[in-house]
Order: sequence, then structure tokens, then C-alpha cells
Amino acid sequence: MAANPVIQTDNLTKVYKTGKEAVVALKDLNLSVQPGEIFGFLGPNGAGKTTTIRLLLDLIRPTRGRANIFGQDANLNSVALHQRIGFLPGELSLWKHLTGKQVVNYVASVRGDDGRMVKHANELAEQLDLDFSKKVRAYSSGNRRKLGLVVSMMHKPDLLILDEPTGGLDPLLQQTFNQMMRDARAAGRTVFLSSHVLGEVQAICDRVGILRNGELKAVERVDDLTHTNFQWITLRFRDAIAPEVVAQVPGVTEVTAENHSLKVRLSGDFDPLLRAVEGHYIVGVQTKEPTLEEIFLAFYGNNGAQKS
Amino acid sequence: MSGVVFWNTLKSHWRGALYWGIGMGLLAYYILVIIPDVDALNQYAEMAATLPPVLMQMLGVSDSATLLAPEGFIGFGFFGYALLILAAYAVIAGLNVTANEEDEGILDIVLSLPLARWRLVVEKFAAHLVLTLGIVLMAILGMWLGVQQSVLDLNMARLVEATLNMLPGILFMIALTVFISVLVRRKAAAIGIVAGIIAASYFLDFIGKAVTNDIVQVVQKLSFYTYYDSAGVITHGLNVGNIALLLALTVILLAGALWFFNRRDVGL
Repeated sequence: MAANPVIQTDNLTKVYKTGKEAVVALKDLNLSVQPGEIFGFLGPNGAGKTTTIRLLLDLIRPTRGRANIFGQDANLNSVALHQRIGFLPGELSLWKHLTGKQVVNYVASVRGDDGRMVKHANELAEQLDLDFSKKVRAYSSGNRRKLGLVVSMMHKPDLLILDEPTGGLDPLLQQTFNQMMRDARAAGRTVFLSSHVLGEVQAICDRVGILRNGELKAVERVDDLTHTNFQWITLRFRDAIAPEVVAQVPGVTEVTAENHSLKVRLSGDFDPLLRAVEGHYIVGVQTKEPTLEEIFLAFYGNNGAQKS
Repeated sequence: MSGVVFWNTLKSHWRGALYWGIGMGLLAYYILVIIPDVDALNQYAEMAATLPPVLMQMLGVSDSATLLAPEGFIGFGFFGYALLILAAYAVIAGLNVTANEEDEGILDIVLSLPLARWRLVVEKFAAHLVLTLGIVLMAILGMWLGVQQSVLDLNMARLVEATLNMLPGILFMIALTVFISVLVRRKAAAIGIVAGIIAASYFLDFIGKAVTNDIVQVVQKLSFYTYYDSAGVITHGLNVGNIALLLALTVILLAGALWFFNRRDVGL
């Protein structure tokens, strides 16, 4: 028997009205996030990720449908639910005149801290190498993001809702963040994070919901999505080379020749491609991750229906 | 946790309120000590008598003889303008309730905490009520110090009443600002609308005092300044009806703000 979902939405819809115009930001979202999983909410900018998060947090109200968190209505029981939720907004704004420490103390006091939250906040700050003594206005965007992470995690919430959490973090800190999320999962907590970067989601998520134009197109295990993954490879040669050399290589689906370079779209292993160009002098190799839109098209085609 | 927002608001804004209190206290003190003696008041009254009656009415002086009494002079020199000066404070305080944090995007974090929207508004308003009371008390202190140095026989109890009479007017303006900023969401728009309402109210009261026309008199009643009636209070004491009306309007505006804020989207 499946456990009760941590997040459950039923036909959750949000329409923004600006004057006479109505914009459907989210349409009939039916989503279920299970306890103890890291769920990635993937979609290009403007797909409806932030709208979904704001609906879950009761910052905005649905036009239709409902959202339940821990079995309770996200609107009717928002205050009690927020005790168990940690939130990091995509565009984080904090009180600029306060120090990091003062922000932490204020948030802890609103949460009814008995001292343990501040203690944990200090541990998190140490883990993220964050100096609490500075004023928020003096923080770089990366440090502000770190402070946001500390504030969202200091009370060890059962559910973490993170909107584009790693924006502004350097690669080393992204690794730390990833480990923090894995630790949260190991402690039985649930993480719901939005991103438009596939690689970020692939690194830590168990399942991914793909959102496009306000509609949930699919929910997949990350492994399945990775299987569909491909890369753009650009091989730069010393001499000219005909595209036919690599056209028949397994996994290669598109080949473009330009000057002394071949740009190929490769799914799967590298080895067959390198063997095919054996004997040609390679000056350089460049790899590029596909955009989310390209992955989406590869997986679902233009109309959003999954390719068989 | 109950009261955290209240105490935090007090902590964040007490300095600003202190400066306002010192300013109002000094102004009150100054007005009292610049009245050297009865002869000086006679001179002011004689000078006022040469001005057109309409202009005197517009300045809040019903009769030049009013200026012969020290209380009348204080009513003209301090209480007539005090509420207009404190309107700036009231708008700033009202914006602090929701508009500033919403405009800066901080409200997303605040409302993701276990904190009901109504509690945020009520606790912040309560904190500003306490701060406003502090400002009024400092004005009373300035007045008391002025009375100690004055050679005139001044009715301190009446001066205290007149100073406390500012409180409902200030609270009304704070509540008005909260209501408008909850309604229109945008801070700049809220400032514009509230400033317009306050200016229009002052103007309607101004005109109402100067022109004896039935329509103008009726329209004057739409102005909250009419119910402040500083000249009336310093001459006859507090008007309970006026105070009750301003406080009732404050409660209604606050309830309206809570109703809208509880139902609307935040931070868009």
C-alpha cells in the first residue's frame, strides 16, 4: 500500500487576470509527491513552477482545484502546515538592515524556537561557510542564497520547498547543497524543488515532473529521463572531414559539418563515435548539455505526447 | 509565536518614532515659550484682526479674539498643523504594516512562516499604535516643559486633552494607509492615493471653515479633519462623539484591510 502523499494536488489551476486579459499560469495540475523523495519540478522559465509553489504555500489562491499537504488543505491549514515546511523563494528578498544572525533569530522566534533552531542554523552556516555577522545588504547574491537556505532548513522541516535553489551558488557549494538534500532525504524528509536545469535535477532527484506552458506533461523517474538524454558533441579536426564518416555511428542522429568541425547529436556512449573518427587528427572536443526544451522534444515530441 | 511580530516591529521602529516624538515635543515646547506675555498675544490678535475674516477662518481661527487667550494661540500655532505634520508619520507607519515588505518581496518569506495573515496586520498595527502613543506623550512632555517656563496661566489639563485628541486622527490615517495598500498592492500607488485623500480632507475642512455655504458645510463633514476639531477641543474639551467616530472608522478600515488581505494573492 502506497504511503499518504506529502503533496497532492487535484486539478490545481491558476488564472491571472490583468485587465481584460486572462493568463492561464497553471492548468489542472494533478501531482503527487511521496514521503522521503526528492521531487524535481522541471520546466522552462514561465512554465508555471513558481506559481505552483506559491499555491502550495498559500501565498496565492487557486482559481480552481485544491492542494493538500500532509493530507491537509494548503489554504485552510496554512499556518499549521508552515510549521512543517521550509521555503526558499526563487527571488529571495530579506530585511536588508538586519544581520544574518538577526534574520535567523527573528524567523526562529516566529517559529517558536526553544534554542534548537538557532543552534542548527549555526551548524548549517558553518557547513555553507556563511558569516552571520554581516548585514543582509552587504551579502553577495550567493551569500544571500545561503542565508535563505539556512532559514529554510533551520527548523528541520518535514517538507522543503525550494524554488530554483542553486541559482547563484558556485559549483563547490552546489555539491554541498546536493549533499544537504541527500542528507534530508536520508532523514526521511521530503524535498520539492523547481529548476530549469536538467543537470541539477538529475544530480539529486528521484522523480521529475515536467511542466510546460502551465501543464504537467509527465512525471518520470530521473533514470528514465536520463536514458533519453543526449549531448551535442563538436569535434574539431585538423583537416576537413566528411559528415558521412560518423553518420552511421550508433547513437548519432544529427550531423552538421562546418569548416573542419563536425557537430553531432549523440545519445549513449562516446566510444563508437571516437572509433569512427580514428585516424583523423582531432584538435579539440566540445560537449554541450541539451537544453530542457530539446530534452522535452526528444522525449515527448512537439505535441507533448510521449514518443514510444 | 504570539507577540513576536509586535515586539519586532517595536524594536525596528522605536528610533524613528523617538525622532518624531522629539520633533513634536520641541515644536510644542517652542510654541509655548514664544508666548512671552499677554501683551504679545494682544499684538497677535490686533494683527489678526487686520486680516480678511475668510483668511482667518482658513487658518483655523474663528475670531481674532481667540488669539487673545493663550490656548487659542496654541490651538492656532500647534494643534492646527500638528495633525497635518503627523500625517507623514501616519503614512510611513501604515506602509510598514504590509506594503513595504510586499513591495520588497519579503512578504513571501514572512508568510511562509507559521504566521496568520491577520496576525501580521494586527500585531504590526498594535505596535504602531504604541509608538504613536509614545509620540503623543512626548508632545505632551514638551508641552508640560513649556508650561513650566511660561509666565502665563495655562490650563495643562486642556492641553493634554488637545494633544491626546490627535491620537484618533493619526490612527485613522495609519488604518487608511494599511487599507489602501492592501487594496492596491503597489506601494507607490498607495502613497499617491492616501496623500490625495489626506490633502483633499484638509482642503475640504479648510474651505468648510471659510465658506458659509450649505453644500460646502455638508461636504466638509466628509473630511476626517472636521472631527479632529483642534480649536473646539482646546476651547471646550474633548468631543467624545468625534473621537468615537474616528476610532470606529479606524476599526472599520482595519477590518476591511484584514478581510481583503486574507483573501487576496500576495506579492504579485
